Amino acid sequence: MKKTNHLKKFTGLITLILLFLVSMNASAQQISVSGNIKDSKGEGLPGVTVIEKGTVNGTVTNIDGNYSLSVDGKSTLVFSFIGMTTKEVLVNGQSSINVVMTEENIGLEQIVVTGYQTQKKADLTGAVGVVEVDQIKELPTGNAVKALQGRVAGVYVTTDGNPGDYATVRIRGGSTMGSGSNNPLYIIDGMPTTGGIEQLNPNDIETMQVLKDASAASIYGSRANNGVILITTRKGKEGVSKIEFNAYATIQNYSTKLDVLNTYERGLVNWQASINDGLTPTSSIYKYDWHTDSNGNAVLDRILLPEYIDPSHTMHPADTKWFDEVSQQSLIQSYNLTFSNGNDKGSSLISLNYYNHDGIIKETNSNKITARINSDYKFLDGKLKVGENLLISKVDNTDIPIGDVMYLALVQQPVVPVYSIDGGWGGPAPGMTDRHNPVRLIEQNKQNHSKTARVFGNMFADLEIIKGLNFRTNYGIDYTENYYRKMDYSYASGFLISDINRTTTSQWHNLSWTWTNTLNYKMETGLHNIDVVAGTEAIKAEYETFYGSREGYVIEDPDYMFLDAGTEKILNGGGGAGNSLFSLFAKANYVYNQKYLASLTVRRDGSSRFGKDNLYGTFPAFSLGWRLSEEGFLKESLPAISNLKIRAGWGITGNQEISNDAIYSIYRTDYGVDPTWVFDTGTAYDITGSDSGSLPSGYRKIREGNSILKWEEAKQTNLGIDFGFLDQTFYGSFDYFMKETSDILIEPPYLAVKGEGGNQWVNGATLENKGWEFVLGYNKTLNNGLGIDLTANISSYKRKVTYLPDEVLTGYPGDPANGKSVLGQSDIVHFGYIADGIFQNQAEVDNYPQQTGKDIGRIKYKDIGGLDENGKYINKPDGVVNDLDRTWIGDPNPDFIYGLNAVFSYKNFDLNLFFQGIQGVDVYNEHKHLTDFTSIWQGTNFGTRTLDAWTPTNTGSTVPMLTLTDTNNENRYSSYFIENGSYLKLRNLQIGYNVPDKLIKSLKLSSARIYVQGQNVLTFKDSKGNNQFTGVDPESPGFAYPNPTSYSIGVNLTF
Amino acid sequence: MIATGFLVSCSDSFLEMAPKSTISSDQLLTPENAEGMAIAAYSELGNDHYTAPNSLWPYADNTSGDAYKGGGGTGDIWEFNFMELFAFNTTDNPLIDQKWYRLYVGIGRANEALKVINELTANEFPNKTERQAEMRFLRAHHYFILKTMFKYIPWIDETVSGEAFKEISNKEFTDQELWDKIADEFQFAAENLPEMQAEKGRVNKYAAIAYLAKTRLYQAYEQNEQNAVTSINSSKLEQVVSLVNQVIASGKYSLFPDFGYNFLQPHDDGSTESVFAVQRSIDDGTPKGRLDWGNMLNYPMNPEYGCCWFHIPTQNLVNSFKTDENGLPQFNTFNNSDVKEGADFQNNTFDVRLDHTVAIPGHPWKYDPNFIYQKDWARAIQIYGHFSSLKESQHYECACFQKVPPFIASSKNTDIIRYADVLLWKAEALIELGRQNEALPIINEVRQRAANSSGMLKFNDGNPVSNYKMEIYKPGENCTWDQDFARQALRWERRLELAMEGIRFFDLVRWGIASDYINNYFAKESTKREYLKDGKFTKGKHEFFPIPQNQVDFSKGLYKQNNGW
Repeated sequence: MKKTNHLKKFTGLITLILLFLVSMNASAQQISVSGNIKDSKGEGLPGVTVIEKGTVNGTVTNIDGNYSLSVDGKSTLVFSFIGMTTKEVLVNGQSSINVVMTEENIGLEQIVVTGYQTQKKADLTGAVGVVEVDQIKELPTGNAVKALQGRVAGVYVTTDGNPGDYATVRIRGGSTMGSGSNNPLYIIDGMPTTGGIEQLNPNDIETMQVLKDASAASIYGSRANNGVILITTRKGKEGVSKIEFNAYATIQNYSTKLDVLNTYERGLVNWQASINDGLTPTSSIYKYDWHTDSNGNAVLDRILLPEYIDPSHTMHPADTKWFDEVSQQSLIQSYNLTFSNGNDKGSSLISLNYYNHDGIIKETNSNKITARINSDYKFLDGKLKVGENLLISKVDNTDIPIGDVMYLALVQQPVVPVYSIDGGWGGPAPGMTDRHNPVRLIEQNKQNHSKTARVFGNMFADLEIIKGLNFRTNYGIDYTENYYRKMDYSYASGFLISDINRTTTSQWHNLSWTWTNTLNYKMETGLHNIDVVAGTEAIKAEYETFYGSREGYVIEDPDYMFLDAGTEKILNGGGGAGNSLFSLFAKANYVYNQKYLASLTVRRDGSSRFGKDNLYGTFPAFSLGWRLSEEGFLKESLPAISNLKIRAGWGITGNQEISNDAIYSIYRTDYGVDPTWVFDTGTAYDITGSDSGSLPSGYRKIREGNSILKWEEAKQTNLGIDFGFLDQTFYGSFDYFMKETSDILIEPPYLAVKGEGGNQWVNGATLENKGWEFVLGYNKTLNNGLGIDLTANISSYKRKVTYLPDEVLTGYPGDPANGKSVLGQSDIVHFGYIADGIFQNQAEVDNYPQQTGKDIGRIKYKDIGGLDENGKYINKPDGVVNDLDRTWIGDPNPDFIYGLNAVFSYKNFDLNLFFQGIQGVDVYNEHKHLTDFTSIWQGTNFGTRTLDAWTPTNTGSTVPMLTLTDTNNENRYSSYFIENGSYLKLRNLQIGYNVPDKLIKSLKLSSARIYVQGQNVLTFKDSKGNNQFTGVDPESPGFAYPNPTSYSIGVNLTF
Repeated sequence: MIATGFLVSCSDSFLEMAPKSTISSDQLLTPENAEGMAIAAYSELGNDHYTAPNSLWPYADNTSGDAYKGGGGTGDIWEFNFMELFAFNTTDNPLIDQKWYRLYVGIGRANEALKVINELTANEFPNKTERQAEMRFLRAHHYFILKTMFKYIPWIDETVSGEAFKEISNKEFTDQELWDKIADEFQFAAENLPEMQAEKGRVNKYAAIAYLAKTRLYQAYEQNEQNAVTSINSSKLEQVVSLVNQVIASGKYSLFPDFGYNFLQPHDDGSTESVFAVQRSIDDGTPKGRLDWGNMLNYPMNPEYGCCWFHIPTQNLVNSFKTDENGLPQFNTFNNSDVKEGADFQNNTFDVRLDHTVAIPGHPWKYDPNFIYQKDWARAIQIYGHFSSLKESQHYECACFQKVPPFIASSKNTDIIRYADVLLWKAEALIELGRQNEALPIINEVRQRAANSSGMLKFNDGNPVSNYKMEIYKPGENCTWDQDFARQALRWERRLELAMEGIRFFDLVRWGIASDYINNYFAKESTKREYLKDGKFTKGKHEFFPIPQNQVDFSKGLYKQNNGW
């Protein structure tokens, strides 16, 4: 089938309105003309407007691209379709006129949703990134936002291979800091939400726009600081009745396994480390036969393993490859069925999606079923439109503790078997680290499912009061219910034993509603084009949660382990939260003579999170544009320029992402917390000395209220230029922005003497982001039929903190007491020692500044500063390496991010290549503590890098000499662990084939397409020099879910 | 449209959202809630965590040559490793800051309770004065620990309101004035608390008197700005003697017949030796029980436990239990040879308290002859040797015992003041007053009880676990009891009696001997434990922990850093 163009669908609506205006005004001397309209791929094009030029007489093509119209025999027919070049054909008495429409490369006529309004792309004055939904719809992902990675300039998406398909999105580097959220606001069919986009069926998305700057986003003032992503979902189209079926299957592979030691090598490095330390090599597992040669060098003859590795003789030594044991080749399947129907009384669309994603880590799985019903009905001659958009989704995620599993696959020793000889679990033996068998962790968590059901949708009514003036009311709800039954089983795994079993059943319930009322007025008179919207919006969100748990189950089975079957430790708990927002807003867009553009926005938001005096924040914005290409002088002198527009915008947006009760001083009873991993903050005490039973409990302060809290505000200026040459064959844009977020809501650390609950939200920081975005495209269909479509984008931002109260500087990286404050740096900058190579010989050690623990084979840390006689820090080596020598050692913010998409189409084939990369990002390689050192964590497994550690005969190594004890404190935060995280990945490689018409017809289809693709096929990273990335995947330097390499096959059919 | 207008008009009330499941300070002003606030203040005694334990082992045992940090290696809670080695420690060590913060949380809870209690009249709240006394006791307890760890500390009480806390320096009071402030609290508590409390968890008059004695004892050793002991105040010492006498005269306390009962949960209730303890509970409706979280890393690695082998007795400590042919400590020669395992414990003679304190390969664990401690229960033998700590751990079959995977805990109460400790304060005061002869019977009482405590230390065949030989001091017969000797004997006795109980480092600093003592320890012990070779104690600096850098910065420099840091 043809690649469904989202623009085409939108046209249906527009055409409908046009037709309505046209009304019945046909003249008398007529001939009937009919024909078929095809696109460049030879497929029938529905929804093309056919108008008799100079009249209001017209029609639209049906699903097969056919039309029929009664016209004056001497007239001219105008065929137009958004995104395609308009064609005019003289009728000249013909009764049959067939037309092939060609795509207008980047549609300046494209209609873009900008928030309570739509605008022509040519008229945009803000920084709006329009996602080419076509290019991402076949990507095998359960989250459309994931597919944005590298596609939109200025949007930085980080993601991993988790079947849950989570993604972190930062627009222009985010705008806030501390515990504030940098996540953008999502508006789906007019309903705001801050998360859970993975619960949306990617196939349902019709358009996706990223509002990046304040002038674009401030219409959503209150929560637009981090940018806004607008999503509209597909609707039925008039005159179209069809069934679409899309399916794909993806095979995923774990291609980035870390190289860790095998059983023999693990024994070897332990021996070597002992020899280096001058100790007799010993081990609770390995027996060493070794001797000293005539030169006095230790020589290892052989390593012996015991019959059993544990005192109770349940485990034989093994050579377990833990990364293999925890991973698998896995499959993603997606099936999507869409039914749509439309006529002049309304339209409807029903879509169903089944998505099952097994992860490359065993037992990880996400299973989603989503259903959508979008419909609208017209009354009063089309003046009243009533409709709804409704999403119902069910997501079932298997809850495997993935961070633990990835960590354990590295640290668990290879000599430990997966299973003991009696079929139980293998596990750590004496002398080993007390870490779990990761296979057990997977197997004993696979029964734990987190089930989420979500109803997300809205009902609307749109009434045309008089021509051009519309009132629209929209009521939407977002209701998420999550149910989670977690069963902890007892286990015996090496010396790790627990006889506790427990079921914890928990549920949370998240309900919010939004009620929006808008008045929209559009007027076009002469050269003036005015579009004004004003409205109110009320939002209320409530959250409640509770849990119950019991222990003591006689059978460990999911069918048995419901709460009722437990007999011990009967516990429960729960809580709630809520907030509300009320807003008034207005926006006016004005276009004069298609050349001069202006837009003005103001929004006033009230939030329950702020104190009485500061309930409201006002967020104004304006932007201006000048379409130079529409000026006569340019048109004549430089006809090659098809588009040239300069834009400037300024505006303020807000943020209110703080605790719901930040303004209140409050106390709470904390009967009991689980202090396994956090500090106990309980308020109950066994005052009677009875040792058990119910305890008396009191209250503790949990927050100091701040009644004068106010909105955090970001002021942003955006300057942009859009350009296109040769009828938009070349096109592009450049944007420069400056963004200053002030009064940032932070909950800073405070003087301890204030005691518990002294934490208080304040408006107390300023952050500055500056950057640019550059987009370039080329789109051409050559005479031989080869279509080329290239788009590239590159963007950059610099993020720095410019103000923080002095006393809280310590809470951020740096050493403010010695003049090294985070001000002027990014708030997430790396701060530590500079690792300056390895001591090669005793002379070097002796001549080096005083450094506790310095020795041959150890890391040198650079002496960069010290205190002068007045106790003031100066940047001059003082002969001592100490905490004064810490400095800025890397910025985790990338220098720039980029993407390149190339589509080649020829006849029925198309080829798509998509590259994405980031450059100049300093990552902290968490693995390195374990891959490079035998001294920081004893009893774990290590990386194969330890095999190439420095020795007096292997002096070129960058890995310090093996030792058993970290006497040089090499665990310290230093540049040794900071590596170049730059990468370039071939994210997507796809070949598609559109089945030719003839064949389709015989199959009773209207279109058919198959494709194959590969994802993450190639990765380029820095693998040379001191700064090289020594881990496997710079995109995932820690213990995150690994990114798979995957291969898909897919089919799209339309009936 | 009408609806829109309606929404605009009522938007202010629409924007009012009351906080959920919380209570405001106004609502707290009732007698019931005043009791609740007092409970919450007690609760903080048990709000423990391994990162800042209330048993104080990382600050007092780990820093004094009695214990190694232990665990998986030096990087496993590196913050404690830095404390152990001193040389690496810095003012921004996050776990020092955390301890400081937790102690002020304790003070804050007492202050919050006092604010509510003070608002109520004695008519409304008949327990008013008594609860005030309890709260001031608890507050002083946290201040005492702060004082011994940090020397100069800001003093915050319930009268400090609003932003006034920002103006209070850690140098508002002198070293001696701070001791007096703490003493005043205990004095008030002593005057207003009943002799007996029906509820065992509440502090009583004699606990307050005892703590006052402890305060005066520390105060008596007057220090200069360089932390050197410049003089010993005899009137303070006399107060110590008289205060301890009151405790003794109360008749409420006595030494347990067996030393080991102090470390067994079943003897918690009805303890005659516990003067002040943190109450722990299990099966109490909280998620995991209110257990001794501060010790939850301190169990060995055998299947019955499995984590995490922290708080490991040093070779030096184990050697110090050796006795000579008279059954007295080997004051000068104890560390000339190491007792490690097997026959070492039969070929030498030992103080009985050894096997109550230290788990030794081949010796019964926690008095169970069928449950023998093995070398492979240890975790990082190459770094920290193969001993384990016994006092804070409980037998896995104890009803108080609970695994909190991956950790281990019990509901054994944690003693803060033990009667034996109280008796030894008096002995110490007497010796420094030159009345060592009066101290002799006290030390001997403690020793004699220890000598009598081998009943639970037997193998299945009835043989004693180690070769015990200990005697009381008999002047003229096995020693010459002059002041120097008595001082040496007292200090030795305190080490063996209170080893691994979170006290030792503060004793060394009080006596003014920390620097020499700890550097001597490093010199010898680093030949056995390589990681100690960079350990170095700087005189005039390391006697106290640094004022946490965070706090200095948050105070905008109002807090002055301790000497040497």
